[in-house]
Amino acid sequence: MAEKKNLSPIEKIKEESDALRGTLKESLQNEITGALFEADKSLIKFHGIYEQDDRDRREERAEKKLERAYSFMIRLRLPGGLMTGEQWLATDDIATKYSTGVIKITTRQTIQLHGIVKTDMKPTLKWFDKFNLDSIAACGDVNRNVVCAAHPKQSPIHEEIFQYADKISTLLLPKTRAFYEIWLDDEKIVDKKLEEDPLYKDTYLPRKFKISIAIPPNNDIDVFANDIGLIAIIEKDKLKGFNIAVGGGMSSTHGNVSTYARVGSVIGFTETEEKTLKAIYEIVTIQRDFGNRSDRKLARLKYTVDKVGLDWFKQELENRCGFALQPAKKFDFNQRIDYYGWHKNHEGKWYYTLFVENGRICDEDGLLLRTALREIAKTGKATFRFTANQNVIVADVVEKDKAAINEMLKAYKLIEHTEHRTGIRKNSMACVALPTCPLALAEAQRYLPSLITRIEGLMEECKIPNDDIIIRMTGCPNGCARPGLAEIAFIGVSPERYNLYLGGDAAGFRLNKIYKENLDETEILNELKPVLQSYVSERNKQETFGDFVMRKQLVSA
Amino acid sequence: MLWSKKMLNKQQIEKLQNFISQFSKEELLWLSGYLIGKAEEEDGGAAPVGTAVVSKITIAYGTETGNSKKIANQLAARAKQMKVNPKVVSMEQYKLTDLEKEEYFFTIVSTHGDGEPPAAAKKFYEHIHSSNSNLPKLKYSVLALGDTAYPLFCKTGADVDARFQKLGGTRLVDRKDCDVDFEPEANLWIDEVLRKLSTSPSSNGTAAKVTDKKKPSGRVIYKGKITANVNLNDRGSKKETYHIEITPESEAHYAPGDSIGIVPTNYEADVQAVLKQLNTIGSDFVTHKGERYSFYQLLRTKLSILQLPARILTKYAALEKIPIEIKGSYDLADLLYSFPVKIAKGNWQLLVDILEPIAPRLYSVASSNAAHNEEVHLTVARSAFYKNGEKRYGLASNYLSQLPKGTDINFYVQKNNAFHLPADDKDIIMVGPGTGIAPFRAFVAERDARGAEGRNWLFFGDQHFKTDFLYQTEWQNYLETGVLTRLEVAFSRDTDQKVYVQHKLKKQSKEIFEWLQSGAYFYVCGAKEPMSVDVENTLLEIIAEHGSFNKQEAEDYLNDLKEEGRYLKDVY
Repeated sequence: MAEKKNLSPIEKIKEESDALRGTLKESLQNEITGALFEADKSLIKFHGIYEQDDRDRREERAEKKLERAYSFMIRLRLPGGLMTGEQWLATDDIATKYSTGVIKITTRQTIQLHGIVKTDMKPTLKWFDKFNLDSIAACGDVNRNVVCAAHPKQSPIHEEIFQYADKISTLLLPKTRAFYEIWLDDEKIVDKKLEEDPLYKDTYLPRKFKISIAIPPNNDIDVFANDIGLIAIIEKDKLKGFNIAVGGGMSSTHGNVSTYARVGSVIGFTETEEKTLKAIYEIVTIQRDFGNRSDRKLARLKYTVDKVGLDWFKQELENRCGFALQPAKKFDFNQRIDYYGWHKNHEGKWYYTLFVENGRICDEDGLLLRTALREIAKTGKATFRFTANQNVIVADVVEKDKAAINEMLKAYKLIEHTEHRTGIRKNSMACVALPTCPLALAEAQRYLPSLITRIEGLMEECKIPNDDIIIRMTGCPNGCARPGLAEIAFIGVSPERYNLYLGGDAAGFRLNKIYKENLDETEILNELKPVLQSYVSERNKQETFGDFVMRKQLVSA
Repeated sequence: MLWSKKMLNKQQIEKLQNFISQFSKEELLWLSGYLIGKAEEEDGGAAPVGTAVVSKITIAYGTETGNSKKIANQLAARAKQMKVNPKVVSMEQYKLTDLEKEEYFFTIVSTHGDGEPPAAAKKFYEHIHSSNSNLPKLKYSVLALGDTAYPLFCKTGADVDARFQKLGGTRLVDRKDCDVDFEPEANLWIDEVLRKLSTSPSSNGTAAKVTDKKKPSGRVIYKGKITANVNLNDRGSKKETYHIEITPESEAHYAPGDSIGIVPTNYEADVQAVLKQLNTIGSDFVTHKGERYSFYQLLRTKLSILQLPARILTKYAALEKIPIEIKGSYDLADLLYSFPVKIAKGNWQLLVDILEPIAPRLYSVASSNAAHNEEVHLTVARSAFYKNGEKRYGLASNYLSQLPKGTDINFYVQKNNAFHLPADDKDIIMVGPGTGIAPFRAFVAERDARGAEGRNWLFFGDQHFKTDFLYQTEWQNYLETGVLTRLEVAFSRDTDQKVYVQHKLKKQSKEIFEWLQSGAYFYVCGAKEPMSVDVENTLLEIIAEHGSFNKQEAEDYLNDLKEEGRYLKDVY
């Protein structure tokens, strides 16, 4: 069982939190500070909220004798990343009223709002509740938003698979009523038995927990970057079950050699819904019982799996499930993309995947993206699906409405915007980083677009302006934009300096490796240029950039 | 003239006249006292004390600084030597119905910035101006304290003097108007008063000793440097409130609660606008208060040229023989544009003579010598207004807010004895929204530095929590260390319903009353209206509710607090 000594301080906070209530109510009532009491800063994550502050403003506010500009990020729980038009309008409304006005699509298919001050959180969550939206367990040491292959055209049974996202989310939801009491003013639970939680107990999981569902041959959701990756096995248009991969995860810590990115290991196959859900549940209980609760940097499932060994892990899982896993089925991924533009599913419904740079939905630089989506939502003729690559799909448009929606997309120049962007830009991803993320060591989403422009220049020089290369950037090594699985990755080490990683494959099976450390922009471009040049002159037919880098052993495997 | 001819020869007279021509009227008056003192020294002692015919007198004083009390006591001491029985009373304690019975009544009263009576004299001032009672028995004299830096110099004293006469009183001794260096004038006045009270007016009573050895009683001007100037309001705020730190060359003697006086200078653009209308560069020399300046320099640093009061418009109309009454709001440049100068053209002295000096502005000191390394901190709201659709700023606050670090600045300390901290073991409740927070920052810092054990409860308010929480991090620290016992904040524009400090008081009414009952002091600083009125009304409600008093009883309770010096206001 887990080591009891030297528990991390968060463990104590969880245990003493009265089922995630802590002193959140008192924190919210305190008028002297825009922040929460210390322990509540940890607990509020379980409610899908992070306390942040505008790091750009710290120095100036300190001089003004004002505390940091605290605000909160609220992330919705949105299994599979689907919203109705009405829900989108509601989100847009509340974003205008209380947030920075940017609606951010995350890398886990949900959306988050930034810049909400303490006193506005309750009204925001109450508003969301009216539209059946919540943020329960969207952050914290629990199962996070469940991700599912985004595009309905991927399979005629997409809808059936998509349902699993919701089922898993519900299965792994904490039982506490704290969220309803604190944010929605529900009455306090008197009978504590009603919220007894056999899964999470008092201390929840040692660390965050991520689950994704992929539908081959597209690995758009990066299934191997998750604690549990489910790979749908489809035979003759029927869902046979899922291969289960465990122990994926991107995060590491600079200078801490015990930490590393890891791709998930496929351990078997489950056939029925009942067995699949049972297996998932018990994987979570194993992590609950054996995960490292002393060192949060070593607490993800990947370290547990490596500690106990895959064989033992599988055996323990089968013991807990009461059934054996079947051998994994054959599957293949050959791509990791969003299907930009118009596509039809098997029922004849239409989907337009819109490029959203770094997932930021806003009206900026002459592109009225947020207004356009609002206007489309108002027609009631579309739903909205978010991809794990931070794009939005204007979805479920019936044939007769397609022309009208297309006109709107055109009028707002969104088609032009989507079509005219290069492959590298459309395949790029960055985390939030500065100014709000407390972990960021360097810029990410504010900087990557301009770096991409410089790299586009290099690609142009090398005469491969339209090649698809997956580029990702994070402001720290915690891996929010899944940098470990990019062909080219930049991980921030200090302001304006990044480690450069090369060699991920196109489909997301293989981790990249470090190529050069601590580069500024000039150095990045100087390092990339010769690699791109040799790629153009020496690549094999159809060879992707990441594969080329590995074949040439430009990084140590 | 006749006398002087007998005493001095022609040469001596010429010399004397030549010598005294360089002095202003005030200086001459001072000199006369000095000479009397000199004459006595030569006599080898004080002049003989006369015997008074009057048996008792009343001396009423009213100032914030304590100067009037000091003079009153001096007069009383010397009256006693003459066997006159003096009754010395603060104007706020004076029973107004006694006035009709008074025979010999001496008033020493100061004037506040805008020609207003000091708080201590207010009731008295209002009473004599609203009363029509006849005072035929009254023999009186007024000593007016003031500051020539203000346009309405010694106005309260002058008003009282005129009013007493109107009510039938007899002026025993002409009023004397004192500048900040009041002692020479005050002594002359005392001399004259005593002379009138004595049996032999020719004996001269006792003359004041004024010698150059004496420490000047007047204002000490400190030199300092601006060492910090920060807008405390964050971006997006509608307000600009500057935290200004001044490091004086030598320790400025002030106590928390006192004010700092600063004379701003005009802005170059405003001066140039005037000079442009006059079609001059202002290099001609003019005289102001006995000193020579270039016309430009005088306009730039000494004379008020913005928002001229009606009395100056009247004087200008007279000077330029403008047949109509000039009405409205004029800066000097506007006035000269609308009514171009003709008669005074080229003779700028004529213009200078009708203008008034730039008045000093007072700011509550926001620091404590003990806590802030003998620095002087101010909390200054840059006031903005619109004139003809154009954004303009108040002269002094704008001047201060724009002073960069390293600028030299002169200032003086204006004592405010009516707004000081109580003994260390007393509890205090402080209500200071907006810049009203300034003295309380000084209070809490001082109490922190002294380790005062009394409890401190602060009420602060402003528009927005995020941008306008003045000194937020300092209050948070004081709360953490326990120096600040409690802090309630009211941000009026953050919610649909406006919340002000009085609402927060009301919310805590039970405990407020408990604090008062156990001897707490209640301080209010900030806007006179509506804030201090609303706070007072709320306080009355609290007292009535928790003391189970009716309205009158609650008012009595509050009056008792006032009399005990436990309900203190510094409002503006």
